[in-house]
Amino acid sequence: MDRDPLILLVDDEPQIQRALKTILVANHFRIITAVNGEQGLALAAAQSPDVIILDLTLPDIDGFEVCGQIREWSSVPIIILSVRDNERDKVTALDKGADDYLTKPFGIEELLARIRVALRHSHQALGNKETIITADPIVVDLARHLVTNNGEEVKLTATEFKLLAYLAAHSDRVLTHQTIMNYVWGFVESDHIEYLRVYINQLRKKIETNPDDPKILITDPGIGYRFKTSE
Amino acid sequence: MTTKRAEKIIVWGRNFFRHPILVIIFKLLGTGLSLYLTTILFQLFETYLAVQYVALLYLLPVILITLFFGLVFGLLAALLSFLTFDYFFIQPYHSLVVHKPQDLITLVIFLLVAIVVSQLLWQSKKSSQIAVAREHEATRMYKLISALAGLTDTTDIARVLVKQTLDTFHFSKVQVQINAWEDEPVTTYSLASAIRGKETPSMKKDLQTSRIIEGELVIWPGRNPLNNEEARLLQAFCDQGALAIERAHLINRENKTRVLEESDRIKTSLLNSVSHELRSPLAAIKASVSSLRIEAVPWDSDARVELLTTVEEETDKLNLLVGNLLDMSRIEAGALDPQKKWNSITEIINSVIRKNRANLAEHSVVLRLPEDLPLVPTDFVMMEQVFTNLLSNSTKYAPAGSEIEISAKELDDHIQVRVRNQSPFVPEEHLKHIFDKFHRITQADKVTGTGLGLSICKGIIEAHGGKIWAENLPDGFSFFFTLPGKLNGQLPTKLEES
Repeated sequence: MDRDPLILLVDDEPQIQRALKTILVANHFRIITAVNGEQGLALAAAQSPDVIILDLTLPDIDGFEVCGQIREWSSVPIIILSVRDNERDKVTALDKGADDYLTKPFGIEELLARIRVALRHSHQALGNKETIITADPIVVDLARHLVTNNGEEVKLTATEFKLLAYLAAHSDRVLTHQTIMNYVWGFVESDHIEYLRVYINQLRKKIETNPDDPKILITDPGIGYRFKTSE
Repeated sequence: MTTKRAEKIIVWGRNFFRHPILVIIFKLLGTGLSLYLTTILFQLFETYLAVQYVALLYLLPVILITLFFGLVFGLLAALLSFLTFDYFFIQPYHSLVVHKPQDLITLVIFLLVAIVVSQLLWQSKKSSQIAVAREHEATRMYKLISALAGLTDTTDIARVLVKQTLDTFHFSKVQVQINAWEDEPVTTYSLASAIRGKETPSMKKDLQTSRIIEGELVIWPGRNPLNNEEARLLQAFCDQGALAIERAHLINRENKTRVLEESDRIKTSLLNSVSHELRSPLAAIKASVSSLRIEAVPWDSDARVELLTTVEEETDKLNLLVGNLLDMSRIEAGALDPQKKWNSITEIINSVIRKNRANLAEHSVVLRLPEDLPLVPTDFVMMEQVFTNLLSNSTKYAPAGSEIEISAKELDDHIQVRVRNQSPFVPEEHLKHIFDKFHRITQADKVTGTGLGLSICKGIIEAHGGKIWAENLPDGFSFFFTLPGKLNGQLPTKLEES
């Protein structure tokens, strides 16, 4: 990367714009801002930003709609930033193609971490896919179908590996229950979340140092799970 | 099947013998038969009886027939006994001719006495019948009024009115329809009796008060038409029903007004409580930030960190408060809609402890959760809030350094969770109210809080179909709550590893 990554911020609140501009510039990002959905869509097309930060409540178009429209032609990472903190909105946004979701008010560390993850995944999408994902002391080797804990192989059943590998391949991003169940068991419209709970529980017992205080397989309450790497 | 058929035959038989023409025939036969028997009896003892005594004794069947069969048959019996008396007991026998003038006088007197006696008897019987009917009417009215008393639900009123009407009158079916009122929809209730009747209703009566028509009473009558008394009683039933409906409506309106007044009072109390809670963190933030902006003061890095930490912590506090207010308004509006999914209570508790580590620093939290605790259908985020609030309450009131224990167990078809802390004894009168909005045991300035936390817990647990309560313990205080273990009547399905 010869230039600082470009971030498009779509948010109609001037205070948020002012704060984020200052903070992101100080953290070596370039930033362009849009105050409504139309402008956001236009700038997303014209400037090809590396990451889009999108508010759900916009004066013209609904944020979900903006997200869906961008997804029709671009896989640019979209991070939702919203005051709506109910799980249904979060799941809807993620299902509409958003990559991540942060609730206002948020810690700036958290936002910067999410931006870095988004950038990493968009680089991977360009070709050089990581096949070894590390979350100390666990290493998931996707190519060799191998999971090690401090170098020792962790014995996993086929389903457990499928689940863990899927989460690891999308590391540091939240995956909704539905997405995971769809991938692992092929459930399309299912409420059998208990299967997932059971398997996550089993996995935690095998890979977490303290299964009651998981550091790798993180629950995103009401939404899904996140494989947290050691960054 | 056989009993049903037998019943059918009995009902058919009963109805058959009630047919008016048959009744008349029976009564005629009865009249004739009793006079016939009397005459035979008298003929047997004729030698011992004087004619005058026979005349006197002939009054007996006349009286009995009047009493049992009514005036018409009584008079008929009087006439018939007059003729038989003449025919069999007045010389010349077996002829209606009378020779002695004395006998003629006896006969005429007999006829007159028989007629007068049966008329007098009939009148007294009739007035006693009316008295009985009045009493029956009064009893029925009393029953209806006492059954309707205190009912505030229009469906109950419709049910009582239909039931009492069916019990009182010989109708085959009764239906009550109560008109829509304000936000209540139309209520219809109907019930059929064992009496067979016509397929189509023959009478509709408005349930009318002095102000409006509240609904209508529809009747499918049995075979017998209503007499005047019954018609009057039915009208009284309708009036009472209408009054009961009107009263229920007025009570409901009054309750709504009271709820509005109550919510107004709560709003005021909320504003008072919340403005204090909002101002304190805002004051801290404002003070810290404005201090940092004073360029003349060279802040050392420790002081700077201290001020910035204050800003961040107070912001979190504000955010939590706003979240609580939103939750409360959702609970109030009945808009709390838990997304119930199979969740592990253990996982929820661990997540809460992780997030609240800073607040729990002065207490030691002990978990006693069985390894095999089943998954429970809950909304993860809402349950996090319940535990957060219960823990926050525990840390506020339990002394620093004390233990907070969270335990859970499976009981029949639900899970019971207990959060035990070592806070002081809570007087019994407060125990019942600690889950009420804005209920504070201590003075507002001693312990911070809006008094919303526990009422939110209650709202959430109840939205999950559970119960929450608190108890004093010998060595502290406990919150208990239960959660149903089934989702739509199902336990979690188990998936076998293929």
